[in-house]
Amino acid sequence: MVHIVIPSMLAAQAEGRRRFDIEAETVGGALHGLPVVDLLFNERGELNRHLNVYVDGTDSRERGGLEAPLEDAREIRIVAMVSGG
Amino acid sequence: MLSGDDDRRRWRAEGPLLDGWGVYHAMADARDGTVYAAANHVVYGPTVQRSKDRGKTWTRSRKVGLPQESGRTLNATWHIEPGRPEEPETLYLGGDPGVLFVSRDGGESWEVNRGLLEHPTRERWFPGAGGMSLHSIQLDPHDHRRMYVAITSAGVFRSDDGGASWIPRNHDVVTEFLADPCAEVGHCPHKLLLHPAKPARLWQQNHFGVYRSDDHGDSWVRVDGNGLPSGFGFPLMLDPADPDTAVVIPEKSPEYHYSPGGTLAVYRTRDGGETWKPMVDGLPDQAWAAVLREGSAFDDESLYFGTQSGSFFALTDDDRWVEAVRHLPPILSVEVTSWST
Repeated sequence: MVHIVIPSMLAAQAEGRRRFDIEAETVGGALHGLPVVDLLFNERGELNRHLNVYVDGTDSRERGGLEAPLEDAREIRIVAMVSGG
Repeated sequence: MLSGDDDRRRWRAEGPLLDGWGVYHAMADARDGTVYAAANHVVYGPTVQRSKDRGKTWTRSRKVGLPQESGRTLNATWHIEPGRPEEPETLYLGGDPGVLFVSRDGGESWEVNRGLLEHPTRERWFPGAGGMSLHSIQLDPHDHRRMYVAITSAGVFRSDDGGASWIPRNHDVVTEFLADPCAEVGHCPHKLLLHPAKPARLWQQNHFGVYRSDDHGDSWVRVDGNGLPSGFGFPLMLDPADPDTAVVIPEKSPEYHYSPGGTLAVYRTRDGGETWKPMVDGLPDQAWAAVLREGSAFDDESLYFGTQSGSFFALTDDDRWVEAVRHLPPILSVEVTSWST
């Protein structure tokens, strides 16, 4: 079971929920258990640009990407990089 | 959501609804009151959202996208058009890159139109500065197999077979940035409207002028030469009772997107584009405003528009504009509906 935290705008699209506990084997599998999965991936199944996924504080790309096994990971945090100034 | 009283002089604002989303177009379906929004976000992508309780709660459509084999992805949802009254569950959706979708289940799911997606001229469509949005969808009220779309950087297309196939209808339209200014496709309509009482008549605000067609788009006549300070602009409004009336809000030029001469003015023709007269009563004396392509609306009673600088104007019965609300974020879309309270 992994705990997922999503940004407030996504929570507004999930009936106000920011936190989810999801049973999954991979990072991508966990994201696909969210009710807002359609807002995370494009129609080709690619993670939207400007989204960062942190697994226990580490960028998921440094842990093997979305296909990487969760193993004993406890928390996934999705962060929208609305950057620029 | 802005609510006005019957004489359109006093308004109140509620919201924001769909907080944080860029709503490129929103409309209330007159058939059942459902509100639809083409809502986009730089991180979360393009969506269609609908509300059956006047914006209190929203439901997303199933993922809207393009088929894998097209090699394309949907960049944005741009315009939602209700289907005909006798098809209450049908809606149309225009998007970028120049694509049309249809829903047969009230906006729950959307299927791409193959005729346009695989159009033989598509390789000659090139996205411009504003992308390649399909922003205008018009249904012929008399001929149920005829419809029109307008696509930025592609042109106007007509279907006479219910959307199975599409023919470019850009004859006599001159696009100065094309190697062949009179090419079959590659033109840049900014807004296309069909007159509901005279469906052979189309009006088009183009990148290069205002055009009128009286033959279902088979030919076009440029009509901005007498009274308009510029042929460049985005919004277009009509009078449902008078096919000879059209209303535009010009900008200085394709390079300079603000009011010509520092004066915000709405221009109306009542003679099919032969002459245009400004409607400035109630508008600021000095303004460098811009109104986007979905930033205006009309109904049986009046005209409405909102600026990129966040002011919303409504026209009263004495032809005076009322700045009903100000200090909004950039106004992307204006639509009007009548609701009993």
